[in-house]
Amino acid sequence: MEKGKIKIDDKRYPKRLANTKEAPEALYYKGDWGQKIFDKCLAVVGSRRMTEYGRKICTKLVSEVAARGITIVSGFMYGIDATAHRAAVSVGGKTIAVMPCGIEKIHPGYQDDLYKKILKKGGLILSEMPGKKGPAKWTYPKRNRIVAGLSQATLVVQAAENSGSLITANFTKDFKRKLFAVPGPLTSKVSIGTANLIKDGADIVTCSGGIIKFFMPKQEDIDFSETSGEQMERYENLSKKERQVIENLRTESLGVDDIARRLDLPANKAGTILSQMQLKGIIEKSGNKYYVSDF
Amino acid sequence: MFKKVNSAAYSGLKSIGIDVEINTTKKGLSEFNIVGLPSKAVDESEERVKNAIINSNIDFPEKRITVNLAPADVPKEGSFYDLPIAIGILASALRFKIPEKSLFFGELSLDGSLRHTKGALPLALFAQSEGYKNVFLPEESANEAAVIKGINVYPVKNLDQIIDFLINKRKLKPAEYQNRERKEEEPEFDMSEILGQEQTKRVARIAAAGGHNLFMVGSPGSGKTMIARSLPGILPELSDKESLEVTKIYSISGNTSPGSGLIRKRPFRAPHHGISKVGLIGGGSRPKPGEITLAHRGVLFLDEFNEFPRSALEAMRQPLEDGGLTISRSKQRVNYPSEFMLVASSNPCPCGYLNHPEKECECTPRQVSRYRKKISGPILDRIDLHVEVPSVDVEKLKKERRANSNEKSKEIRKRVVKARKRQAKRFKKEEIRTNAEMKNRHVKKYCQLSEKTEEILSQAASKFNISARGYFKMIKVSQTIADLEDADEIKADHVAEALQYRSKM
Repeated sequence: MEKGKIKIDDKRYPKRLANTKEAPEALYYKGDWGQKIFDKCLAVVGSRRMTEYGRKICTKLVSEVAARGITIVSGFMYGIDATAHRAAVSVGGKTIAVMPCGIEKIHPGYQDDLYKKILKKGGLILSEMPGKKGPAKWTYPKRNRIVAGLSQATLVVQAAENSGSLITANFTKDFKRKLFAVPGPLTSKVSIGTANLIKDGADIVTCSGGIIKFFMPKQEDIDFSETSGEQMERYENLSKKERQVIENLRTESLGVDDIARRLDLPANKAGTILSQMQLKGIIEKSGNKYYVSDF
Repeated sequence: MFKKVNSAAYSGLKSIGIDVEINTTKKGLSEFNIVGLPSKAVDESEERVKNAIINSNIDFPEKRITVNLAPADVPKEGSFYDLPIAIGILASALRFKIPEKSLFFGELSLDGSLRHTKGALPLALFAQSEGYKNVFLPEESANEAAVIKGINVYPVKNLDQIIDFLINKRKLKPAEYQNRERKEEEPEFDMSEILGQEQTKRVARIAAAGGHNLFMVGSPGSGKTMIARSLPGILPELSDKESLEVTKIYSISGNTSPGSGLIRKRPFRAPHHGISKVGLIGGGSRPKPGEITLAHRGVLFLDEFNEFPRSALEAMRQPLEDGGLTISRSKQRVNYPSEFMLVASSNPCPCGYLNHPEKECECTPRQVSRYRKKISGPILDRIDLHVEVPSVDVEKLKKERRANSNEKSKEIRKRVVKARKRQAKRFKKEEIRTNAEMKNRHVKKYCQLSEKTEEILSQAASKFNISARGYFKMIKVSQTIADLEDADEIKADHVAEALQYRSKM
């Protein structure tokens, strides 16, 4: 596998990053260094403590964006960062992981499977530090300037007040780049940061269409909110109870007991219906709650 | 003068006859010696016996007294040789005849009265099987022994009383068994008291019906302990044979209260996670039963399952599989039964609030996975039912009580008993009695699956990555669900429900 060091005066050094203040003197990398990967870049950042909502939204938005050839840049941390990398990789998209530590170190270590996947799918691992240097408190915010600097736009999925993701958002503003934020329920801590960003002028994201349009203005209008034909087909032949389950899950994700109560069913019947729907692939379980598969 | 008094010792749950031989002689200095591998408690018997006799206003013989506990090579333990020793000494001092075919047993107090002594029931059982006619034991322990028919159990208050009886000065009436425990014992918690938790209550019912082990995961305060404590109330009542087994264990370990009779309530043991390996499975140089044996025929509840020492949990594997264990030590080897239902519970993560509707979880994914990995896989493999206990808003639930969840424990028990009867009928030619005990060959032989059921099973196996072991576990649980519904065949719906309770660890 290719690895190396690229200095700021090198022709291959990404222009967009070079134009920012405090751009790193040199970048260490692993993977195939090509100019194309830096062509269209979207930074996706968010809380480490993402909620299930955050995971779902991040996966949906990123997979749709990455499928169109837009590179996803993020920080390889667990939570939203890792979810974004995974979503990009899963649709065969390119992704750049900017590490807060030396290029030879995988941090956090248990995500080594993701590390390998990123490289295998033609992505890049980047860092401004060589060797096996470990991360320190100050390397995370420093790393964020590279994430923001490489990208034309930054998408903040979930962020609490004082979250590290807001540092990336601030860099994005400083660099006069585009900022997107995902709205979330105000009852959740990790929605406050994004809500404030929207209040201060970040673009509110309701579907991936808005982001794709920013990168490819000439594209025809795409509507991603509609359910595809194949999914519509799955909803035919559903029993009355199954339809009721879907209706309830569309407004809110629920546990077995909640569904039993709402449908006025004993717990065993509710469990049976939910298992069968899971087998058909209409709903999914995560944590202790059920979701409609197509979101 | 030489006298012989019969008594008994036990090793594990087995009793052995012990001859207490007493020789008193005028030759030599007055002395009192006990030989025959006595433990400290037996050795100290000397002082208790001496003082008890003096305080009963009888002159203690100024002679050389030697007590031999035969067979001499079996280690003797416990305080129950006080009475036979005292009787032997007094028989030669007061010149009375020791009644034939009689066993003496009991601990003396310094004032001459007899104290509640552990092991009364096994002694009576031993007397019955060995053809003894009379058993003399402390009044407070007599009721326990009186359960056994065909022998005379004499309740003894103090030395005075028994001596008067033995020299024919006074009559003593054999004890008659009194059932002091009410037959309709109210359970600690009734299932109908538990609000919400529909699925968990359903799982508890399945666990009780099929004898399956159960694992509950949920945030603090979600009601895991309450569910566990209400389990004995829905399990079938102890049969006479089971009751005897349980009482025997409790009697030997000194867990019966004075004056009590047979234990009718299913044991519920909930040891703290600070327990040692020996405390949990039993042991010691003279092996004592552990919590798994005390939970025999009942429920062993291990709260904070992953906080238990790993060595203790690992040691539980074999007894969990075999329903008993053999503890081998250099001096002896004992068997203890341990057919219990394991109910374990744990938090979903170190802080306890993962997936909580309101509280924020503070743990990193790594902490969560490390926390879960603390539980050994082989133990989890032996648990058929896994359930997530969600946190509930009790106030909200109180307002919308529904009829279907308010079934009383007594009603649930009836259904459980019915399901157990179906199982007993199914396994009448086998050694097992419940679905949980089925081995793979039993599953293949007895579990009737329709074509549609097989289809959904294999579909589920590939979709959820279910292992071969998990596959059999699912059939076992489905069989219990079918039994609860009085169905002869496992239907697709039963399997679909069983899928809900598979392990997610």
